[in-house]
Amino acid sequence: MTSRDSRSPHGVGQRVPLIDGPSKVTGTAVYTDDIRLPGTLVGKILRSPHAHAKIVSIDTSAAESMPGVRAVVTGSRDLRTFGVLPISKDEVALAVDKVIYVGDCVAGVAADDEETALAACEAIRVEYEPLPIVGKADDALKECPPEQKLHPDTRHPSNLQKQVDQNFGDVDAAFAGADHVAKGNFRFIGVTHAFTEPHCVIAHFEPTGRLTVWSATQVPHYLHRDLAAVMDLPMHRIRVIRPMVGGAFGGKSDPFPHEMITALLSRRTGRPVKIRFDREEVFLTNHGRHPTKTSIGVACDGDGKLLGLDLDALIDGGAWGSFGVVTTYYNGVLSVGPYRFDNFRYRGRRVYTNKPPCGAMRGHGAVNSRFAFEVLIDELAEKCGVDAAEFRLRNLLPSNTTTLNGFRITSNGTEECIRRVVEASDWKNKRGKLPYGRGIGIACGFYISGSALRINWNKVPQSTAHLKIDMDGGVTVHCMAAEIGQGSDTMLAQCVAEVLGLPIEWIRVFSRDSDLDPIDLGSYSSRVTFMAGNAARRAAEVIRGKLCAAAARLTGYDAEGFDTRDGHVVWLPNPAIRVPYLDALLEAIAGKGALIAKGCYHDAPPMGGSHKGAAAGLSPTYSFQSYVTETEVDPETGFVKPVKVWAAHDCGKALNPLAVEMQIEGCLHMGLGQALMESFGYNRATVGNPSFLDYKIPGPLEMPDVEVHIVESDDPEGPFGAKEAGEGPLLPILPSLANAVRDAVGITMYELPMTPDRVLKEIEKKERASAVREASEAANPKETVR
Amino acid sequence: MILAPFTLHRPESLAEALSLAAKLPDGGYDWIGGGTDLLQNYKNRLNAKDHVIALDRVPEMRGISAERIGAGERLAVISESAVVRERWPGLAEAITHVASPLIRNSGTLGGNLLVETRCYYFNQTPFWRGTKGSCMKAESDECLVVPQKEICYAAYSGDLAPILGVLSATLELASPAGTREVRIDEFYAGDGIRKNVKRADEIIVGVKVPAEASTLRAGYRKLRHRDALDYPEMGCAAALRLDPSGRIELLRAATTAVDVVPHFLDFSELMRGQEPDTAFAEVAAAMEERAQPKKNTSMPVGYRKKMVRVYLGRLLDDLRAGRTEGRIPAA
Ligand SMILES: Cc1cc2nc3c(=O)[nH]c(=O)nc-3n(C[C@H](O)[C@H](O)[C@H](O)COP(=O)(O)OP(=O)(O)OC[C@H]3O[C@@H](n4cnc5c(N)ncnc54)[C@H](O)[C@@H]3O)c2cc1C
Ligand code: SF4
Repeated sequence: MTSRDSRSPHGVGQRVPLIDGPSKVTGTAVYTDDIRLPGTLVGKILRSPHAHAKIVSIDTSAAESMPGVRAVVTGSRDLRTFGVLPISKDEVALAVDKVIYVGDCVAGVAADDEETALAACEAIRVEYEPLPIVGKADDALKECPPEQKLHPDTRHPSNLQKQVDQNFGDVDAAFAGADHVAKGNFRFIGVTHAFTEPHCVIAHFEPTGRLTVWSATQVPHYLHRDLAAVMDLPMHRIRVIRPMVGGAFGGKSDPFPHEMITALLSRRTGRPVKIRFDREEVFLTNHGRHPTKTSIGVACDGDGKLLGLDLDALIDGGAWGSFGVVTTYYNGVLSVGPYRFDNFRYRGRRVYTNKPPCGAMRGHGAVNSRFAFEVLIDELAEKCGVDAAEFRLRNLLPSNTTTLNGFRITSNGTEECIRRVVEASDWKNKRGKLPYGRGIGIACGFYISGSALRINWNKVPQSTAHLKIDMDGGVTVHCMAAEIGQGSDTMLAQCVAEVLGLPIEWIRVFSRDSDLDPIDLGSYSSRVTFMAGNAARRAAEVIRGKLCAAAARLTGYDAEGFDTRDGHVVWLPNPAIRVPYLDALLEAIAGKGALIAKGCYHDAPPMGGSHKGAAAGLSPTYSFQSYVTETEVDPETGFVKPVKVWAAHDCGKALNPLAVEMQIEGCLHMGLGQALMESFGYNRATVGNPSFLDYKIPGPLEMPDVEVHIVESDDPEGPFGAKEAGEGPLLPILPSLANAVRDAVGITMYELPMTPDRVLKEIEKKERASAVREASEAANPKETVR
Repeated sequence: MILAPFTLHRPESLAEALSLAAKLPDGGYDWIGGGTDLLQNYKNRLNAKDHVIALDRVPEMRGISAERIGAGERLAVISESAVVRERWPGLAEAITHVASPLIRNSGTLGGNLLVETRCYYFNQTPFWRGTKGSCMKAESDECLVVPQKEICYAAYSGDLAPILGVLSATLELASPAGTREVRIDEFYAGDGIRKNVKRADEIIVGVKVPAEASTLRAGYRKLRHRDALDYPEMGCAAALRLDPSGRIELLRAATTAVDVVPHFLDFSELMRGQEPDTAFAEVAAAMEERAQPKKNTSMPVGYRKKMVRVYLGRLLDDLRAGRTEGRIPAA
């Protein structure tokens, strides 16, 4: 513990192994697929083999008459559409009249066993009439007749879903007056989450008329809401349970058609129905990072002061809206830190194409623009002859400021992040000084720590926690914050352990059942530690008050002087005066019953500008990071092999340094995947590589050495000073590696992933260019002597 | 994905295996070693048969000696064997390039030599193939890589044929009709569907390695995205012996995954007495020249071809210098 004494051996700042770890490593953790309810039917989905086609007819009679088939459902206009954002509820449980991507759900089948369910799917006759495919984002921008629009009701006369235009200052004037300008057109192919546990859901329409749904989701509350809409049931008639989740990374942060289909099948049969995806279905469901074309210009003056950023992103959304409106904003507005500049123009366009939908993925919306920005910063630094790290230091936003678009910056540890990695990596002796084929690069990052405003416009707090302590002394924490492997259960337990001064074994976290656990909006946008952590802390503080009052009654000393620590309620003016926790508890319970308290995180203080879209990207606080990456580049094969990363991240306060380190390493691994080899490819609108053999995730052998530097800026509003550590740490790894590649072999990579063939092509291009230059210099000896 | 259903037979001897085969209809069964290749294809419903004859209990297919490796031996066992490490360290190291440790615990040598040829359009699920109308090697009659109906261009993608080829290894084949021996470098022929000269009822019983092999410097290098799991996008092997003056005495080279069959070329006669530097450059260029990858794996065709020269050139330099890749820790 660096800045504060912890009250508990497992409190704030302690390295606490995740509390659900033992159940996972011993195989006793219960994931959705481990749940076996009596009489469960197997559900399967018939999917579209066409990227875009009219459904002329569907004949389910043969399937329905097969022995062992209990129900077949198909799409209907009577089912409400849904979607995670209230502004783009454009998804249907099952295709109505047409299919819009390969893998679109056409029919659902429930049968006694898997073989029968699959055979029934094959027995369904669907007549399609293919429609022209909107395959590329550029094509989607073209005006087209309504029947060629994926979603005819949208207001644009093309397949454009959302356009964002923002303009601050005067970008054109800034660029005209700049000493140096760097520009680039960047291309990013899609990537996907590739979590371990495939989607799985069980729905059970109970005889009481209530629907219970168990689902591998990171947004149980949004699932709850959309189930209510699609099933046309009041929310209280639905119970959503989130069992153990085997990874999500944003890939389970939408309410999904298969969840609706399972519920429909259960309603039809009155039996529990389970749908578990195979890996190909996971790929077809995607919702991963959007393929994006990013055009960017950055300008600075002769001293290397940033003047302006001009950004344009064309974002390929695939078939549905998902989080896309947010993505469209984030591609622009999350570039306003950690640097200060006064002129900013952004145009973002997200289009619908006939491909599996894209959505939120770790680092949502920020990764691609960040890459482009940080790569061009290196180019600018070079142009004005300033060291790349120094250039960044000169342009940092300070703490406690407001960005040009109205983001409120409070704690900000970027400067320390940069200084730490520069020193640890021996940057000054390496940058520009390593032999050809070896290089070192730096980049920074900036990310939200939760969204200041809620997705749904109501007054439900963003997160609520309930605490209960009965005479056994164990503390029960209830909060729907979705544990998806990131460690939120442990975080909640630690916050409570810290306030109550108890070892973590006394704390039990319940975060999975909408009947029992109060609403938290879900595990997305890096909000959970900040919001649920605050909710749990506040609830625990109420309980602490009660314990202190009880201790005061027992001892006769004043309640204000008491505090909970090390299993006791201690009178601080004289710590010898102390009451064991259980004694204080019994006194507090006497005649009143179990201690109960709640706490919530409602909203950040009012903030933000008044321009259109001002709320997008507003966060109660932001995380900052800076990485230095050293790499090898083989100039003959083009292979990029990062050897070491110095990763500094400002998480406000590391509630659990062990968990923060794991998040940073995980982010880094995921980012390296996108940087080096992952690519969600298509073969004429069909996902090209829907397996873990063909979708190349780096393995352990591809991982560089990682040295984590946790920077603690002590956030004024975060729980115990904490802010996010789950997404921001992904951002700098991609550009720091690209900048290292540039240092190693002198090429700029405008396209990801940096596969060896692409890198080699760039190296050869550069060599050809310099050969031509040398030849022409030799031919004109006079000209070279300038 | 559910495995295609089949009847499993587990003979206890070579004779029993062969008589089982004789009783089953032609083309009605598959042999299975470790199953790491076959069962994946069965899951994808690719040419699955009604009967599968397992070879794991056939004693004639076991054993590792200074002359022979049983084709039923597991890859991990072979690469860890003291005999192999001492006599053919290049083979031991090549094996560490195959798939992953887990797969090498199951995969056998015979299965590796007969690993199914691979193609982007073939190694897919039934649903996926359905979206493309499937191809000649699976359910339809046309090739989707090079549109025509005669030749399948699926890439031979085994890692061990090249190194065994440059060591001049020979396959022992047995069938109900008798036994025969075929040199590895003459074994592969045909295209992505016909693949080799083995008849369906023949078993690879063992791989014989000539005594000379242990006197050669030999190794294997592999191009792929990740240093584990991935099949070769290109692989190359070479065997080398220099005469006392440091000139070429023996030089053989082989490649994999750049054509429907592995390529083997013995340059010894052509290069005998030459300076290594010029010989190496010529050999690497000649092997690159022969490579004809098609656009049906993950990396671009031109790149895979170009890498033959780079990887083979480096391998030859390493062999001359006595360098290994260091994938096997020194004893
Ligand atoms: C994820 C993954 C990655 C892989 N990566 C690689 C790789 O990098 N390099 C590589 O070379 N391979 C790779 N493989 C393929 C495979 O695992 C290996 O080639 C393995 O050695 C095959 O051996 P097996 O015994 O499991 O073969 P099996 O699956 O049992 O058989 C393969 C074929 O050989 C036939 N067969 C097997 N043994 C005999 C015999 N003795 N006589 C006659 N016919 C026989 C079978 O009928 C079948 O057609 C990979 C597989 C997977 C699943
Ligand atoms: S090369 Fe052609 S025939 Fe062979 S597997 Fe590929 S698509 Fe099919």
